[in-house]
Amino acid sequence: MKIASAQLRNFRNHTETELEFKTAANALLGENGQGKTNVLEALSYLCLTKSFYAANDGTVVQQGKDFFDVRGTLLLDHGTEQTIRVSYDAAVNRRRYFVGEKEIVTFSSVIGKYPIVILSPENSSITFGTPADRRKFIDLTISQSSKVYIDDALEYRRTLRQRNKILSEAARKKMLTAADKASLEPWTEALVTRGAKIILKRAQFLREFAPYVSDAYAAIVEDGEAPATAYEPQIACSPDDSAAAVEERYRRMLEEKRADEIKTGASLVGPHRDEIAFSLNGLRLRTYSSQGQHKTFLVGLKIAEFFYLKERCSETPVFLLDDVFSELDDPRSTRLVGFIENLAQTFITATSESVFRNALQWNDERQKIFIRNGAPVSEREMITA
Amino acid sequence: MQYTSASVEQLVEEFSQLPGIGKKTALRLALYILKMPRERVASFSAALTNVKEKVRYCSICSNITENDPCIICSNPKRNRFVICVVEEPNDVLALEKTNEYSGLYHVLGGALSPLDNVGPEDLKVKELLARINDSLEEIILAMNPNVEGETTTMYLSRLLKPMGMKISRIARGLPIGSDLEFADEATLSRALEGRVAL
Ligand SMILES: Nc1ncnc2c1ncn2[C@@H]1O[C@H](COP(=O)(O)OP(=O)(O)O)[C@@H](O)[C@H]1O
Ligand SMILES: [Mg+2]
Ligand SMILES: [Zn+2]
Repeated sequence: MKIASAQLRNFRNHTETELEFKTAANALLGENGQGKTNVLEALSYLCLTKSFYAANDGTVVQQGKDFFDVRGTLLLDHGTEQTIRVSYDAAVNRRRYFVGEKEIVTFSSVIGKYPIVILSPENSSITFGTPADRRKFIDLTISQSSKVYIDDALEYRRTLRQRNKILSEAARKKMLTAADKASLEPWTEALVTRGAKIILKRAQFLREFAPYVSDAYAAIVEDGEAPATAYEPQIACSPDDSAAAVEERYRRMLEEKRADEIKTGASLVGPHRDEIAFSLNGLRLRTYSSQGQHKTFLVGLKIAEFFYLKERCSETPVFLLDDVFSELDDPRSTRLVGFIENLAQTFITATSESVFRNALQWNDERQKIFIRNGAPVSEREMITA
Repeated sequence: MQYTSASVEQLVEEFSQLPGIGKKTALRLALYILKMPRERVASFSAALTNVKEKVRYCSICSNITENDPCIICSNPKRNRFVICVVEEPNDVLALEKTNEYSGLYHVLGGALSPLDNVGPEDLKVKELLARINDSLEEIILAMNPNVEGETTTMYLSRLLKPMGMKISRIARGLPIGSDLEFADEATLSRALEGRVAL
């Protein structure tokens, strides 16, 4: 898939921005705070129905306006064009998504259809952050290739909330009454069945994903560092286990933790407590302090995500690289851009052209787009400013 | 907001207790009633009292009825060997509209949901167990296809399985997250046909 064009209205600092894109690299250049990341965010709305970082659409509407609107044309791999429109009305706090003339009411049905791989400063939490950040990364990657997984994950989350309600009551009363016990039993069973599905799916995903990470690393790093991604589920699980076997272990651990659960008022066993361990040459990434190694690992994960999705989604994903040069100023990032823009259409923000160190040749397939104060400007205007 | 009439204020208060009705709509309804002819208001208020006085729950299936047992339970033409278990009375209406089902019903009065303070004791489960006898051939579980409905289905099937009759559930032909009540008749008929044994 390629994004051919986009129009932004009342979208953050873009009042009325129209952009045409090239099929390989699109460099968005400009000073800080001019609206480059905002363009990537608009592309995220087009492809995923939502922002890749803003939790609420209201903050995206330009100050003083009451709606935003993003339109775009996607060029699918087999050659057809698709027009997309996303509009948000602040008065009723409602976002609507259209493919052609047809409104798509169930947003989750769009996930995975127009895949994008995003590398932005927020992503640094994947290697630096908590287990929850890593779970979120793998959950999002699995979701883009499996709609069933999204449903399963949402059902698990809801089941967890239901079960925790009973436990928090019990914690308040400092006991589990007979009625609470009768209530808890079906939700324990529901948690076990739904949770075991998530655990197995994650185990299977990480087995499939590991070679992609090694390959990606080999492509971007020359000194032969060996990366590893390992699933460390709270409930032991190998990808070939039967659901029944995982459920049985799950049940037993829950029984062992029953007293603790009543004390803390929350479910203490399940995929919501899993860790995904990243390591380099057999050492936990956590123990490495180098920013550079973290960043490279993250890039490796993202390139692995690209190939993983490319093989499983019907469309080749598009890369959105936000500020990848700001933290990492070594030749690796230059090579990286060259590598990525050969794989797929790529959007890269940067404050200056010089960071590319001539890695990109500006031609029919590669362009510079200068952004100033929420609008595209010509290179001449940029220089004379 | 300051009301100049305590009666209007009380009526607005009452309306806004209803599901899906906010203060603004409640005020509009109250003012509308104020303009209605006296006789219509009287019949409206009688209707309200009547539902509470005349309508009760069927002692067999727990559906709402004015005569106990309800017209379905007391209809000799219905197939007494099959019971379809649903969450609410409107699910019975939806299934009746399909004209595909001739057995009996059992209305649970909801689904398991601790967040809404609904546990097994709050549902008509004991009443369902009391209806089971040797001549019963099949129980169809027709809960809503959401987390609460699915969990209730799992709970009931574990409870009923040792009792020997066939247990089935309507197929997941319904879109996930939709309520039985909103499903169109074609979808419901298909779901009924495609029911699977548990
Ligand atoms: N809702 C909004 N309305 C108007 N301007 C906004 C809104 N949200 C963000 N901005 C502006 O957008 C600019 C930041 O844009 P961004 O794309 O993040 O910049 P950069 O070019 O550094 O990536 C800031 O000037 C900010 O004030
Ligand atoms: Mg930025
Ligand atoms: Zn009845």
